[in-house]
Amino acid sequence: MSEEKKKKGSFFGAVKEFVYGVAAHDSARFALKSRASMEHLFILITMGDMLGVPILPPYYSLRLLPYVVPQISTWKRRMLKEKDLTDGLA
Amino acid sequence: MNSVVVLILGLVVAFIGYRFYAKHIDTKIIKSDPKRATPAKMYMDGVEFMPTSKNILFGYQFKSIAGAAPIIGPIIAIQWGWLPALIWILAGTFFIGWVQDYSSAMVAMRNDGASFGGLSHKLISPRARIILLSFIYFYLLLIAGAFGNVVVSTTIALKAAPMAWLFLTVGGILAGQMIYRWRKDIILTTVVTVVIAMAGIWFGTLAPSDKILGLDLANSRWLWAIAAFVFCYFAAVLPIWRFALPINYVASYIVFLGLFFGIIGIFILHPDFTLPAYTDFSIRIGPIWPIMFVTIACGAISGWHSIVSSSGTARQLENELDARPVGGGVMFIEMMLALFALIIAGTIYASSAEYGAAIAKGPGGIFAAGVSKFLGALGMPAALGRSYGSVMMIVLAITIMQLVIRFMRVATSELLSDVSPVFRNPHIGTFIACILGMVLVMTGWWQYLWVLFGGANQLMASLALLLVTAWLMSEGRSAAWAFWPMIFMFITTIAALLYTSFNLLQKVISGAVKGEALIGNTLMGLVGFFLVIAALILGAEGMKALKRYRAITKAQVASAAKA
Amino acid sequence: MVPISLVKIFDEFPDRRYIMFGGKGGLGKTTFSAATAYYLAKQGKRVLVFSVDPQASLSDIFKKDIFGKGPTEIMPNLYAQEIDADRRVKEYQQEIRKKILDMYGMDKIPEEIESYIQAAAAEPAMEESAIFDEVVDIVVHGGYDYYIYDLVPLGHALYYLSMASVYDEWIDKITNLRQQMREYDQVAAVIRRDKELDEDAILNELLYIKERINKSSGILTDKQKTAFFFVLTPEEMIINDTLKAAELFAKFDVPLSGYIINRVLPRELKNQHIPEYLKNRIVMQDKYLKVIDEVFKGQILASVPEMERDVTGLGMIEKLAEKMFY
Repeated sequence: MSEEKKKKGSFFGAVKEFVYGVAAHDSARFALKSRASMEHLFILITMGDMLGVPILPPYYSLRLLPYVVPQISTWKRRMLKEKDLTDGLA
Repeated sequence: MNSVVVLILGLVVAFIGYRFYAKHIDTKIIKSDPKRATPAKMYMDGVEFMPTSKNILFGYQFKSIAGAAPIIGPIIAIQWGWLPALIWILAGTFFIGWVQDYSSAMVAMRNDGASFGGLSHKLISPRARIILLSFIYFYLLLIAGAFGNVVVSTTIALKAAPMAWLFLTVGGILAGQMIYRWRKDIILTTVVTVVIAMAGIWFGTLAPSDKILGLDLANSRWLWAIAAFVFCYFAAVLPIWRFALPINYVASYIVFLGLFFGIIGIFILHPDFTLPAYTDFSIRIGPIWPIMFVTIACGAISGWHSIVSSSGTARQLENELDARPVGGGVMFIEMMLALFALIIAGTIYASSAEYGAAIAKGPGGIFAAGVSKFLGALGMPAALGRSYGSVMMIVLAITIMQLVIRFMRVATSELLSDVSPVFRNPHIGTFIACILGMVLVMTGWWQYLWVLFGGANQLMASLALLLVTAWLMSEGRSAAWAFWPMIFMFITTIAALLYTSFNLLQKVISGAVKGEALIGNTLMGLVGFFLVIAALILGAEGMKALKRYRAITKAQVASAAKA
Repeated sequence: MVPISLVKIFDEFPDRRYIMFGGKGGLGKTTFSAATAYYLAKQGKRVLVFSVDPQASLSDIFKKDIFGKGPTEIMPNLYAQEIDADRRVKEYQQEIRKKILDMYGMDKIPEEIESYIQAAAAEPAMEESAIFDEVVDIVVHGGYDYYIYDLVPLGHALYYLSMASVYDEWIDKITNLRQQMREYDQVAAVIRRDKELDEDAILNELLYIKERINKSSGILTDKQKTAFFFVLTPEEMIINDTLKAAELFAKFDVPLSGYIINRVLPRELKNQHIPEYLKNRIVMQDKYLKVIDEVFKGQILASVPEMERDVTGLGMIEKLAEKMFY
């Protein structure tokens, strides 16, 4: 009984996720994409001396470092990654 | 033949294809491993690389690939008769369509989520990347032209469409404000804006464009082409969340609901095919091979999907096992969509003559009439149903179109900003894209445009399959299942493009066309030739790469034998 | 020439608790700082004199090794401190490392992060920022009636001041950016019907940094609480440089309280039997003292004679203080 209920629940869950995927997923993705490009700008500004562009006093940019540790590798990869026309499409 | 039989046949093909063929490839050749970390997990940045549930991705992939093409293709292709179209839709999807969608996601996943440009650089040659990218630009231009034409012909054929389109736009803009500015609850936003769009569909029947604008304006191709490109212009230059995204958001509900209830309607009415199963080997746009094979674009196989699969979905799959349902499964759903369109075109007209009169006005009218008929089975008044169908058609076409224009804008600034900084201005790039698209729409005969688009689209597919084959061979996996579809698509599309371009340019040279058609034929012909040349170079480079890989594999086998 | 007395200035403006001596290197800023501290301590005020000069010499003047030892009592009410910038930077690096390890439960700092931490510490600006940051700590910590800064050479202070306003603007921009990012986060949350978001820790850090930078530059520019004295000597070059510096200071809104002339040869020497060389020096000084009198009219607070020997040890400091405060 409860098994059946669970199955039913997961079916509706799947439908819900599907509808979300159809309608909303790319909007959410876009919001996050814009956010991420700002994040990278942010790292560039604050951690800029990594590239030899000191914009914040290094003393204070060190203070921010712990918060951006996870983003630094993505940031570097993004900087190094070849930009591709197809990236803009999906 | 009865339409329900067609649907059931489709389900059987989908079942066998998905359950056996795809499963075999997935487990035996690709060896999907649920334990292998996907790029989404390895490089998770919460944005591009983000592990996402397969249900969400299923919806996302479906929305991204189900544009106007799988619907329009069969509507045009039925001119050769419904049987060849049916066979190609089923066989194309079974042997080629899902293979491409699935494997392009897989190859990107196994290559750190690299995009196609990067993959072609890595797997084929550095030059391949540049050619591929310029190929894509013209491919996109053809999409803008072909889909722009659909929008124009639909708004002219169905006078309720403009008002409904306007309401949808307003609802979408409101949705943007509610989501991004006011941050209202998403369910409230959805209900309010979808109701506005629905109200527009109803209001369109009360206030048709010829009543408001007069018959001349309502029938003016110029007016609606400008409207379509102005729409795309806004979509490209405005912040994406203020225009493009929220309109798509609202539209996706309209389309989704229409398809869902339309298919139920087919089961209720289960009409017989009224058009002939086979007409002629050669019709006005050309012979069945190769032209029909490119006309049914996305319903059988589409290069567009490979871009979605590789640049979008591959970076979000959280488990390799999900690639089959998302990459492959969705293609079978798309096949059902194409069958839906084929059934519409094949069953709603009493005779070939009636169909012929309708297709002359463009595919939008046929689709809307079909939607009206099948929604009518559920009790919707015919006029309302037509209005509904017209909005679906416009939406399906224009969502892809504005994405394409936006993208061409970016491409213009990237490719030409070295020539002059002027091209960095977003308005310039958008303007160029809109003007080029506009010229195609106003001067090209839409069926030729469609064939060229289909040809480019499937050439793209064969290039994607070329990449897949190169990857398979570089890994020493069996590659025949991707190699032969690639060869078939390559030859077919090159033939189709050459045939059409040659036809177009011959008319120019012989002076058979004048005025607008002269411009249109020249432009279309040249673009077609360019695509052929680019494809041939890519093909040659690809073959060289494949030979290289084969030699390496042989050497490895030999050294392994020695040891 | 009758200088207005320094004593009067201190009596008249008891709110000016941050005292600074500026001027070119080697004109006697550190000795004046020490003497002023001595004078105020003798008045019963609790005074901290500290050096923000990486080449600090308070240890020499007080004949006591105070480098890096925190506030050290020299005599009742008089405390002196020399900031060990190097150590502060090292401790700070360690603090950052620990924070990273704690935040992410790592055992080891990732290589590129570590190399960044080290590269940042090697920046020349690092030491200065560290010192200025410590100054803020000292002032915020409180506990003294007067804080006397032995300033770094003028150029550095000016550089810091000029950067402060730039930094300020930057941080505003960065904060804006952060806020925009947050808006997109909220939008994504709306679309996915997520619950409320966590606070943005970076936003708080930015506000903190802004406050710190403003505070350290604010101390230099606070008209109510800061007294800034220029030290100069009766020499042509020095007068010209001082004029230029004063202009710059005015541009950055540093409140100038007045000028103190140092190294004035005792006039009574003139009537004694002295070598020609010394006589000429006195004549020259007379000439420039007149110039100073004209140029800095009404702003000369003290004229301090050349001492007979180095000012080191409390005895000499007392002597100097007597000459300064009369």
